[in-house]
Amino acid sequence: MINITLILGSMLIAIGAFYELIGAIGMLKLPGFYLRLHSATVSCIGGSVLPLIGIALIALGLENLGVQGLYITGTCVVSAIIILLLAPSGSHSLARAAYIANAVSKEPLVYDALQEKIRGD
Amino acid sequence: MLNYFLAGTIVVYVISALIYIVRLIRGPSTPDRVLALDALSFDLAVFLALLSLFLERPVLVFGIIPLVLWIHAVDIYVSKYLEAREMGE
Repeated sequence: MINITLILGSMLIAIGAFYELIGAIGMLKLPGFYLRLHSATVSCIGGSVLPLIGIALIALGLENLGVQGLYITGTCVVSAIIILLLAPSGSHSLARAAYIANAVSKEPLVYDALQEKIRGD
Repeated sequence: MLNYFLAGTIVVYVISALIYIVRLIRGPSTPDRVLALDALSFDLAVFLALLSLFLERPVLVFGIIPLVLWIHAVDIYVSKYLEAREMGE
């Protein structure tokens, strides 16, 4: 039982570290704000929620932490749920504000349907 | 075995944080910088949780809930400022 939680948590942390590194490289290399938004949301959900749940499972399975491991478990589960709820809404509101305020350049954009919709109505 | 794995993962998160700091300094516009700060803050939250598990000090992990809530407040404030040019009173 304990070994299952340790192995599952380690797998989740490994997958999350991979996502985080991919998101960071995309954040550095991709051109334009809207493409960087994609890589930022990849690293937020895949790179933060999955490792926090993995850390919670590992802290639940470790025996030498004792009762204090439950502190890590509870805090990590709560913050994973908070990130899962709040990170997409924050990114979405930031993208909407950047689009409406024309704060960034839409460099690799091919077809802008939202502009037509705003102008048409 | 688990300690080596956690140390390697901490190194990966530190490298990701350095790349985010490069984008935070270099970012051409304000939304780019706020997006980099967003990703950097979530990275830092996972880094603190991993560090508390690695050092076996559960005191370190309690700071990540205010950190996560704070970065959502920054998102909302900056997007409101970009849309309406005022901070919301």
